[in-house]
Amino acid sequence: MATAVIMPKQGQSVESCIITKWHKKQGDKIKKGDILFSYETDKASFDEEAKTEGTLLAVFFEEGDDVECLLNVCVIGDEGEDYTEFMPQNKDMAAQPQEQKEQAPSEAPQPVLEQAPAQKDGFIKISPRARALADKSGADIRFAVPSGANERVMERDVQNVIEQGKLVTSAAAEQYAQMQPISGTGIGGRVVTADLTETVAEKLPIAEFKEVKLSNIRRIIAKTMHDSLANSAQLTLNTSFDASGILSLRKKLKENAEQLGLPNITINDFITFAVSRVLVRYKDLNAHFQDDTIKQFTNANIGIACDTERGLMVPTLFGANLLSLAEIASKSKALTTACKEGTINPDLLSGATFTITNLGTLGVESFTPVINPPQTGILGVCGITERTKNGVSYPAMGLSITFDHRAIDGAPCARFMQELTQALENFSLALMA
Amino acid sequence: MYDLIILGAGPAGYLAAERAAQAGLDVLIIEKRFIGGVCLNEGCIPSKALLHSAKVLDYAKHSAQYGVTVQNASIDHSAVIERKNKIVKMLTAGIKGKMRTNKVTVIDGEGVITGKNTVAVGDAKYQGRRILICTGSQPIIPPIKGVAEGLKNGTVVTNRELLDIKEIPDKLVVIGGGVIGLEMASYFNSAGSNVTVIEMLPHIAGQTDKEVSAILLKNYADKGIEFKLGCKVVEVTDNAVIYESEGKSDMAHADKVLLSIGRKPVVDGIGLEAIGVYCENGAIVTDKTMRTNIANVYAAGDVNGKSMLAHTAYREAEVAVNNMLGKKDIMRYNAVASVIYTSPEVASVGETEETAAGKGLEVEVITQPMMFSGRYVAENVRGDGICKIVIDKKLKNILGVHMIGNYASEIIYGAALMIEMQMRVEDVKELIFPHPTVCEIIRETLFK
Repeated sequence: MATAVIMPKQGQSVESCIITKWHKKQGDKIKKGDILFSYETDKASFDEEAKTEGTLLAVFFEEGDDVECLLNVCVIGDEGEDYTEFMPQNKDMAAQPQEQKEQAPSEAPQPVLEQAPAQKDGFIKISPRARALADKSGADIRFAVPSGANERVMERDVQNVIEQGKLVTSAAAEQYAQMQPISGTGIGGRVVTADLTETVAEKLPIAEFKEVKLSNIRRIIAKTMHDSLANSAQLTLNTSFDASGILSLRKKLKENAEQLGLPNITINDFITFAVSRVLVRYKDLNAHFQDDTIKQFTNANIGIACDTERGLMVPTLFGANLLSLAEIASKSKALTTACKEGTINPDLLSGATFTITNLGTLGVESFTPVINPPQTGILGVCGITERTKNGVSYPAMGLSITFDHRAIDGAPCARFMQELTQALENFSLALMA
Repeated sequence: MYDLIILGAGPAGYLAAERAAQAGLDVLIIEKRFIGGVCLNEGCIPSKALLHSAKVLDYAKHSAQYGVTVQNASIDHSAVIERKNKIVKMLTAGIKGKMRTNKVTVIDGEGVITGKNTVAVGDAKYQGRRILICTGSQPIIPPIKGVAEGLKNGTVVTNRELLDIKEIPDKLVVIGGGVIGLEMASYFNSAGSNVTVIEMLPHIAGQTDKEVSAILLKNYADKGIEFKLGCKVVEVTDNAVIYESEGKSDMAHADKVLLSIGRKPVVDGIGLEAIGVYCENGAIVTDKTMRTNIANVYAAGDVNGKSMLAHTAYREAEVAVNNMLGKKDIMRYNAVASVIYTSPEVASVGETEETAAGKGLEVEVITQPMMFSGRYVAENVRGDGICKIVIDKKLKNILGVHMIGNYASEIIYGAALMIEMQMRVEDVKELIFPHPTVCEIIRETLFK
């Protein structure tokens, strides 16, 4: 019996996922456990394994499609079996008047087909008639000025493009759709295959480059970071503390880790521990700033910025102020590992009330972290430099805090930093508190 | 001060004059020999007149296999030449008429550039805002022993003299098996000469697809033309041509010798050095807009040595004029068709397997016998023509079409269109070809 494979719902907050790769194609024989397709949420990526055996009868979405969770993605069954009932758009058809429903079998696949080409020229909204005309005539629809409702490109708009001579030959069409529009050298100014390669050579001295479509995660980072800088009043304070205390404590703990049954405790864990303890006393820094209210949190949910191959990810260490140093160390480790492997539960990628980011391991001496809104502060951990106090040299570790001046003023933030550095310099006392 | 002075009234020159004048430019055109150039007076058109007579004779001679009885069919060479002259006269008169109606000033004489805006004809000097050089090409005369003397005493001729020859020579030796050599060999073979073609390359018809040129060679060998391939002519005497092959010397008796080893641009004696027009390998260097290195000096036609075909010259002339008028236009050479008007005809456009390989293009090649066209079968007894289509392996668009068979010359423009439009195989498969026609072979080949 044919079985549909749905787009899994990865966490409560996830509404849709993007299919990043198909590992199987229609007609392929499928064994249990075969990876059917890879997909990603805002920040994490997953592989969907086959749970049944058979033939991949139908594939409803293509790579790059953003698919609503729980929608049918493909169908596995016996060869020749009818799979039309599983088509995702059959759901909508049911709601339509009876007459249209009768046409469903022949028209059913259409919405899928329409979706696919729209992607190749970067999400242009276009009517099917306009699309058909563009395909037939070789009109470059990126030059079309949409005149339909919701900025939709209509047939008449494509007609205008044809009149302007913005055309491409059928052989050149596919590759050209991936490129920036150019003026062609073919008959009637058509873009021909030679133009696709010659542009680099002929328009010297344009620097060589490769255009890489933003990954979903990159797009999210770009939007969040830009929104943050555009919509808040953030500024950075820099300070440092004598790290000899935590360095020697870390050394001792490391030496006795096995004996004490402790996980590997990093400098970051020490800082997370200290921050979580001090932060809860600075309500406006452990908060979300929302237009005319500040949501002050009782516990410190610390976001830990984590550098992964796919880009920056920030998993949340919930209730850090309630955790022991050892717990902080093991939980942080688990979170960052999941991020790096791309298996993080998406729900753990939100909900932070304050963020810690560490560039110190890369030798950065001070920097300006960017707040992850709606949070009001982010602490940057910097590297260790040699300093002298009263003629004695000591390892000074830099800390940079960026805060949202809309939520908290400079002096209270400086006081937070003062208290934090004191806690770090006297870490054993902080541990006992 | 003219808007445009054109040197040479061949296909490039007269067409440019017509187009420029129609656009409102004040045009002067200077021709040292005949209006219409080589093409109209001693090339394309007159040779077609002769070849048609040959074809009619061939039909008559082989009429029995089509169920028609014709007896004592023979060629009256003087009548053929007379007819040819009438055609040339009529067509050149047509060009002169076009110059008149478009108010183009025509001067007979040798134009020599003396400045960036000045052209002299004898003592007279003419000023022009722009100059278009369309001086065309001339036969290459190789430094072979005896050739200079032969040209003087008339045993050695070029296409110019051969087209006006009074009597059919008993023995004709053609040096050079390119388009001109083959067409002339074809006519004189039909007209009764014993024809020998001596070619340096191991194949005839120059750049033509090797399979196609081999079929053409077989057809003419069957008709009695002797081919000496891979042979180098070393001497021309009063009654023979001496050639060498693989170190061995041999000779072919000749009453007339046609020199047709190629043509070279006419760049001397026209004053290019006066303004410093840049040449390479004896040809004026032009860009895609037909501009030379000197501002407002253009060149079109054989003189730039790019393709040496009248239809290329036409298009180059239009590109030049469009650019003078500020209209964006560029010259493309990838879909210039070439035709050999022998019987059977050879027509090709675009890449051959060899040129594609030279450019590193990955191609697929489909070949289909012409016998897959119903009309071809109906009209050709034992026809051995083929159609060969070269396709880009990845993009599946048509890159080249090569045909041998009658009507190929009239079909090939369609193939050129497919190449210009970069149509893919699947696009061409949607075209409807009239049935029954020989052009259906393109469809048959793609559906093979």
